[in-house]
Amino acid sequence: MIQSLAAYATGLFVRNKKTTPARRKKAARAAKYAASTANKGVLRLLRTTSFQFTLIYVLVFVAAVTILGLYLYRATLGVVAVQMDRAIDKDMEVLAEIFTEKGEKTLLEELDDRAKWRDGSLYMLIRAPSGAVLAGNLNGLPPEAFSADTGFFNFTYERDIERTEAAPLVETRQARGKIRRFSTTPDAESFFLVFVARDSSERRVLSQRLEGIIMRIVITTITLGLVIGLLFSRSILKRVDAVNKTARAIRRGDLSRRIELTGGGDELENLAVNLNAMLDQIERLMTGMREVSDNIAHDLRSPLTRIRNRLTDALASDDAAKEEALNATLRDAERMISTFNALLSIARIESGEGAGAMEEVDVCAIAEELAELYEPAAQDAGFELNLKASATPPVKGSRALISQAIANLLDNALKYAEGGSRIFLSARAREDGAVVLSVSDDGPGVPRQDRAHILERYVRLETSRTTHGSGLGLSLVSAIARAHNARLSLGDAMKSGGGLRVSLVFPSLETS
Amino acid sequence: MRILVVEDDGEAAAYVAKGLREAGHVVDHALDGEIGLSMAGAGDYDAYVIDRMLPKLDGLSLLTQRRDHGDETPALFLSALGEVDDRVKGLQAGGDDYLVKPYALSELLARVEALGRRRAAPSNVTTRYEVADLEIDVITRTVRRAGRKIDLQPREFRLLEYLMRNAGTVVTRTMLLENVWEYHFDPQTNVIDVHISRLRSKIDKDFPKPLLKTIRGAGYTISDEA
Repeated sequence: MIQSLAAYATGLFVRNKKTTPARRKKAARAAKYAASTANKGVLRLLRTTSFQFTLIYVLVFVAAVTILGLYLYRATLGVVAVQMDRAIDKDMEVLAEIFTEKGEKTLLEELDDRAKWRDGSLYMLIRAPSGAVLAGNLNGLPPEAFSADTGFFNFTYERDIERTEAAPLVETRQARGKIRRFSTTPDAESFFLVFVARDSSERRVLSQRLEGIIMRIVITTITLGLVIGLLFSRSILKRVDAVNKTARAIRRGDLSRRIELTGGGDELENLAVNLNAMLDQIERLMTGMREVSDNIAHDLRSPLTRIRNRLTDALASDDAAKEEALNATLRDAERMISTFNALLSIARIESGEGAGAMEEVDVCAIAEELAELYEPAAQDAGFELNLKASATPPVKGSRALISQAIANLLDNALKYAEGGSRIFLSARAREDGAVVLSVSDDGPGVPRQDRAHILERYVRLETSRTTHGSGLGLSLVSAIARAHNARLSLGDAMKSGGGLRVSLVFPSLETS
Repeated sequence: MRILVVEDDGEAAAYVAKGLREAGHVVDHALDGEIGLSMAGAGDYDAYVIDRMLPKLDGLSLLTQRRDHGDETPALFLSALGEVDDRVKGLQAGGDDYLVKPYALSELLARVEALGRRRAAPSNVTTRYEVADLEIDVITRTVRRAGRKIDLQPREFRLLEYLMRNAGTVVTRTMLLENVWEYHFDPQTNVIDVHISRLRSKIDKDFPKPLLKTIRGAGYTISDEA
């Protein structure tokens, strides 16, 4: 169809424009191209897995239909044939009995009698060796009778349809029968040949009709199978092509593309959903990487520039200034290292690395350990560190990451809760099985409007610009929370609205 | 100590070698994994310092091959890969310690010396340590100084035990955090310093001679020397 359409289109093209030989050639090429693409399309269809499966199904079906047909044939016409053979045998036995008990005369009468019935039975009595036909309703012994031994044979004979004197109307019919030798004594010289047969034309017709039916069924099965297979393959190919198209678009650089879902919920849909989820993850990683490089560029470029300027100045200054410059540079370098480490950690945690190390951990025990580690330092800084930890059910997590998150939160509290005097570290189980971990202080807190973007990377509130640190502490906590499917939230530490409370809610084992 | 440094960054290696030589060690240097492997096979070293990512043969394979040959020389990995998984891989390959780049030379020095000492220590596990008149018994968990019993919190005891086991050499804050608390992150707060000063107030305060000393820019040490 594509071919004819293409030809039609070329026809239009040729007709509308003035035809020059070159154009015609071009048109022919186009038609040829269309034809070849159409062929390619069909070839592709034939090569699809679904079509190959269809072919196998069609073959199995044809085999099944054939076996069924054979069985049907055997069970109906086959049985009829056997019955007919039995009837002939029976006839032969009856005739033999008549011959042995009542003699040849009675046999002759009997056969004469039977020959008149016109019930499809055919008889013949021949005297041997003279060959004289004594009785019967056949015009002549069929040639097959001479070659046949004592078994059954098929033959054709001619039968009058109308007994008109002038031109007898005859028809050729099929029959089946056997011939037997009747003799009084085994070695008598003269004997009789008795031929008994039955007309089998109707059976033949029936069997031919049945064969035809089976053949038609087989052909229909093949055709239907192939057509359905092709249609089926085409629909699958169309869906796979949609996936391929998306994949190509993504390869060309558009990572935001996703495979369209049909909403069918079948396995192809499932595949598409999974591929989309994978693409989401890749996009997230790419975005993460881009953010990391942006952040590195942003936050490392300025200290690097500062270092360069400082060293340039120092080169032209006296020794005291040089030493001062070197010390400042060292401080800058150390800050850059910690920034760099924090950025890499965030990127790696967010990319899901280390998620393999997730095991059942006891948040309460980790909180106790961290409280023990930080208690002296807190006291030194003028804070009272209170631990409020009650036994918590295990959650899925990484001890290293959770302890790092708590350490960062405690570091932050010690750093930013100026004027405060108490820090609370608490771990408790919620009624729904979730585990709440929180660090609160009674420092100045964080203004409500700043809380949302305090978690973003690099956002350090202007008032605290001068404090030491990479400014990535909370971002790292946020990344760790995401890696644990935990919810990170900021709130007031006290009912009166002061202080800052940072909580992490870890989902219970059942829901995580 | 004879130390083999396998590091492909020539400048970094020269810096490390210089630092180790200044501390009184003999240093050989290999620029790639294959040379490092043959040098390790040929020489009798007291410690290896191996970069994880090396040309021709990576550090993990290098050490795995040496360990397969029955070489028990303590080894420290240097690596830019610092996550827990990476550490575990390094230790599984037979590494004894793992230091993440960028590192301070004093940190590397302290760790290499700790490795060398571990090798020199007698094979049977010591349960008693003594530095001057300070003695601890790991089994009974008792600490005495000049015969007087000193009560320590469990963590303080572990801190002191680690310092005593490494008596005479510098241990860094990171080493303490890793070995006493088993944390591998870098706190922004001087948490270790405060623990040390608490410990110091218990073991040194009432005695004329301080044993627990701060080494500026490096860490701490317990020693009898002035």
